[in-house]
Amino acid sequence: MGKYIVKRILLMFLTLFIIITMCFILIKLLPLPAVREMGRDVNLILAKREQMGYNRPLLVQYFLYLKGIVLHWDWGVGEQMYEALSIWSVLTQKLPYTVMVNLYSILMAVPLGLMFGIYAALKKNKWQDHVLSTLVIIFISVPSYVYAFIVQYLFCYRLGWFPLTVESLENAAFFSARMIRSMMPAILSLGFSVVAGLTRYTRAELSEVLTSEFMLLARTKGLTKSQATSRHALRNAMVVILPMIIGEFIGILFGSLIIEKIFAIPGVGSLYINAITVRDYNFFMALTVFYTFIGLASNIAIDISYGLIDPRIRMGSRK
Amino acid sequence: MKKLLTLLVAFALVMSAFSALAEAFTPAETYDPGARAFDGGEVAVTFSEGESGGQVTTDIYAGEEGKDYTDEKFYTYNTALTAMGGGLDWNPHTWETSDDSIILDYITTGFYAYKLNTAKDGYSVMPEMAAELPVDVTSEYVGQLGVEEGETAKAWRIALNQNAVWENGEKITADNYIYSMQQQLNPKMLNRRADSFYDGDFSIVNAKNYLYAGQVAYTKLGEETVEAAQEAGKDLFIDIHEFWGMAGALDAEGNEAPKYVSITDETLYRDLAVEDEEADEAWVSGKYIFDTYLAPGAQYNSYAGEYMATSAIMSGATWDEVGLKKVDDYTIDIILEKKVEEASFYMPYNMSSNWLVYEPLYEASKKFFDADGAEVATEEEAASVTTDYQTTIEKTMGYGPYKLTYFELDKQFTLERNDTWYGYSDGRHLGQYQTDRIVYTVIAEQATRLLAFLAGELDTVGLQSQDMEKYASSKYISYEPQSFTTKITFNTDYEKLLSHGTNSQVVVVDEFRQAFAFALDREHFATAYTAAGSAGYGMLNYLYTYNPFTGAIYRDSDPAKEALVNTYGVTFGEGKDYATLDEAYEAMTGYDMAKAQALMATAYDKAVDAGIYDGESEVKIDFRVYNADEIYVQMFTYLDTQVQEAVKGSGFDGKLSLNMTVDPDYYETMYSGGADMIFTTWGGAAMAPFGMMAQVYTDAADGSGNQMEVGFDTDKIALTYTVNGEQITESLRNWTIWANNGANELLDSKIGKFGDLTYESRCAFYAKMEEAYLAYYVTTPLYYRNVASLESQKVNFPVDTYLQLVAFGGISYMTYNYDDAGWADYIANNTLEY
Repeated sequence: MGKYIVKRILLMFLTLFIIITMCFILIKLLPLPAVREMGRDVNLILAKREQMGYNRPLLVQYFLYLKGIVLHWDWGVGEQMYEALSIWSVLTQKLPYTVMVNLYSILMAVPLGLMFGIYAALKKNKWQDHVLSTLVIIFISVPSYVYAFIVQYLFCYRLGWFPLTVESLENAAFFSARMIRSMMPAILSLGFSVVAGLTRYTRAELSEVLTSEFMLLARTKGLTKSQATSRHALRNAMVVILPMIIGEFIGILFGSLIIEKIFAIPGVGSLYINAITVRDYNFFMALTVFYTFIGLASNIAIDISYGLIDPRIRMGSRK
Repeated sequence: MKKLLTLLVAFALVMSAFSALAEAFTPAETYDPGARAFDGGEVAVTFSEGESGGQVTTDIYAGEEGKDYTDEKFYTYNTALTAMGGGLDWNPHTWETSDDSIILDYITTGFYAYKLNTAKDGYSVMPEMAAELPVDVTSEYVGQLGVEEGETAKAWRIALNQNAVWENGEKITADNYIYSMQQQLNPKMLNRRADSFYDGDFSIVNAKNYLYAGQVAYTKLGEETVEAAQEAGKDLFIDIHEFWGMAGALDAEGNEAPKYVSITDETLYRDLAVEDEEADEAWVSGKYIFDTYLAPGAQYNSYAGEYMATSAIMSGATWDEVGLKKVDDYTIDIILEKKVEEASFYMPYNMSSNWLVYEPLYEASKKFFDADGAEVATEEEAASVTTDYQTTIEKTMGYGPYKLTYFELDKQFTLERNDTWYGYSDGRHLGQYQTDRIVYTVIAEQATRLLAFLAGELDTVGLQSQDMEKYASSKYISYEPQSFTTKITFNTDYEKLLSHGTNSQVVVVDEFRQAFAFALDREHFATAYTAAGSAGYGMLNYLYTYNPFTGAIYRDSDPAKEALVNTYGVTFGEGKDYATLDEAYEAMTGYDMAKAQALMATAYDKAVDAGIYDGESEVKIDFRVYNADEIYVQMFTYLDTQVQEAVKGSGFDGKLSLNMTVDPDYYETMYSGGADMIFTTWGGAAMAPFGMMAQVYTDAADGSGNQMEVGFDTDKIALTYTVNGEQITESLRNWTIWANNGANELLDSKIGKFGDLTYESRCAFYAKMEEAYLAYYVTTPLYYRNVASLESQKVNFPVDTYLQLVAFGGISYMTYNYDDAGWADYIANNTLEY
């Protein structure tokens, strides 16, 4: 297992290097954003670009780029957006909001999703199951921004239970009750679809496992229904469910463009798309590296999780 | 028999194919729109005496009588931003967008400010960081810094406000101004705002030479011929990015093609527009392009002025040679390259901002890099210097009425009263600055902003078109005009249109574009698709002021009105459509579908007769828009509906389609001739309307300048005015350059300098230039941009109507109906109705 993990990690860095190289070369082959401003000295921008090494050979630029990252953890500065600001500092300022909102949302959604899923599986084909299944279909089909607007109008504007937007750090500390309260509408909006998704998966997997012969054996051994379900059925069902939960946790770093916009969350949701739209190549590169790394790392984590849940699954085994 | 039949059928097929080929239509290689001459009519020329009739006023509105502006209550103004513009930059040396300047506007003060006048109907000038109005000291500099005997208004003495201090209480002296300008023009920093001090009317002597010291600067050949430049021994370069579309092209070793390449440089760059790498011109060099296309006698030699440049290593003035001098601790002199016209207005106007930076923080915020990008210890050994000055609170030091107390990226910033600001105690700012605290929150979503406003959390909210139905009649609504006019612009470069292969070349026929213009109901368009826009008919809108001393609006002047009624075919006078110009102007809509249909029929006939269209094929016109937002789709759908109506009854009926293409780079696509039509918007420089045409409408028909009407060569339009009984003809382009205070031998000798004319004469000349441009319908104005917003019941502004330069009074004159505690109580117990 250890060897397998080391091998996967080394391969991950090799893949990452190849992707960085490809992206850097391809992005540098694109023309720079046009310089044309009424009444402004275009030469000033061209001279600045020259000074910043934009006209150097591509390989030299790439070498300097990698050197900056490896030696100084310097990902460059914003050129078309967040001008003169360090890219790493922008990312680290914005990421906590995204992580917190998504984390709270998953922490709320996972137990609820599992609970509803188990309940529905145990009450399969009864009215409780039908009600839950109908709600699940509704919450999966309707996009989260629809709930977001409803939650905002109803709970924030009409009832005044929550603020309309997330608090700033000037008004509330990051882990304060006031901040969490202000994040609740976004947490709820993001959480509905996760709850629904988990309910559906848990119900489906558990329903199948509950009808297995080993469950009958467990009951005949004298276990109660709840003991058999929690100790045997649920553990087997988790082989499918846990990777989904891990995937949700990894997704917390990506942010939600629309939810962040509606609740004024200064997260990273719009960062990548903005970098592409305004052609800020430094931001584009840094975000590509970041998200590629997250994607690759998550694949390893999910693969390893299979072995942890079910010892019968052997990672890297030749047999 | 079978064989014979087969042979016959094959023969018939071959013959039919040949005949089809013989009949295939090939559009004419060129299109000649005919001679273009425009009669500007008679203009009465009068010259101004002295300063074109004016001195700026200095009387300042001192607030509402009896109102206490200094009570102990606390007043907060809450407002929202849709974004921080990708991260605000409030470094005075590098800021770029209007969003960037928001913080600067609060934490700094210009030398002069425009304030509401006593009558509350216009603006007055108030010295702020200056102690008094600037004094002309040109005579003291004769023989120095390029000042010659007899010249005036080039050197100005500014007495500094001795009460001005930084936020931390340190005095602001002349040394601070000198240091700050030195950094603004620092050659190793290449600060983006440096050009404000050398690239316009407010050019400080040698500022550019100091900035570009030792660097290569390229200057377009312009009027100079290639032969003359070569004879003078100048090194010549070609802008291959623009002339050959080589931006991003690589040489064989992977090096990117520079913008300017020497005409002797034989390095080959791969032109990706040529698919076959072995084909001719798949690889081109600067030398090849010059020898083949731009050399004397070559096909495109006439374009050399636009695409060729000379280079020079800037001589590198020393700091002593720069025209900014300390006279004493509280006096500085500014020596300019050019005389300042109408100085009583334009000197304060040009000095309404400031370049001050706080030396200790500025130096501490610098980073130094060598030529390889490696960080080095000192500025002396550095090839480049960067700074993150004023990007965080810790690195910010202001000197204005407010100070930045909180900043959170993309979330919020807060400004609070800066108690060290001189204005709170100098007795000159009575009735101003009741606001104690200003909070800007980023709320990107309009629906959220509106809810926050209705909940009393925001004190102003901008409205969008979908909000207008509900709030258009609210007594809390205000309309703020913008200088921007949105238009539909056509590409009329025949060869480029032909290369699109969609028959869109029919748009080169004048009547086609004219038909399009008359098919548009601008009132409907502005109402249906914009929040607060109004129907737009002219290139300049109602924000442009042509007389800074009286505030006279260009669009309200008779010549400007007449230009538009003529353009849209409304007549006035005895026996005409309307009795007076004003009546005609009021009635003008520019919408006449019957006329549009008749013009479209004529356009069809002309296109067929000229051999540019076969009369049968499909015509696809490519309309490029920035994105696929619903509003663009709606706008496009309207245009398509109107054009389909306009082609009814013409040969285009059933053959012509308008196609929407989403293209975030649509401006650049248009500049390169790749689009057929786009929306274009120009604005800015609202106090200098007469320079607009030269700067953005007539500067380069080939797409290398700002002019978006690609293919519309204003050098080829002869515009004739009758002045004192004499007819004077020049190209439209040259007239506009003259109106932008450019030299023109013929016009200067026959008429005089444009800047010496009275404002009325200038207005009369300029209106005809605008009319001459519009007469060819290469651009057709659609709507004037305005911003509509709701103002909270918590606040008041001193005026209801937008005033040039002072808006509704601004934050300085804003007053409150409730303090923070009172407002919280009010909204807790009441539902706000707007």
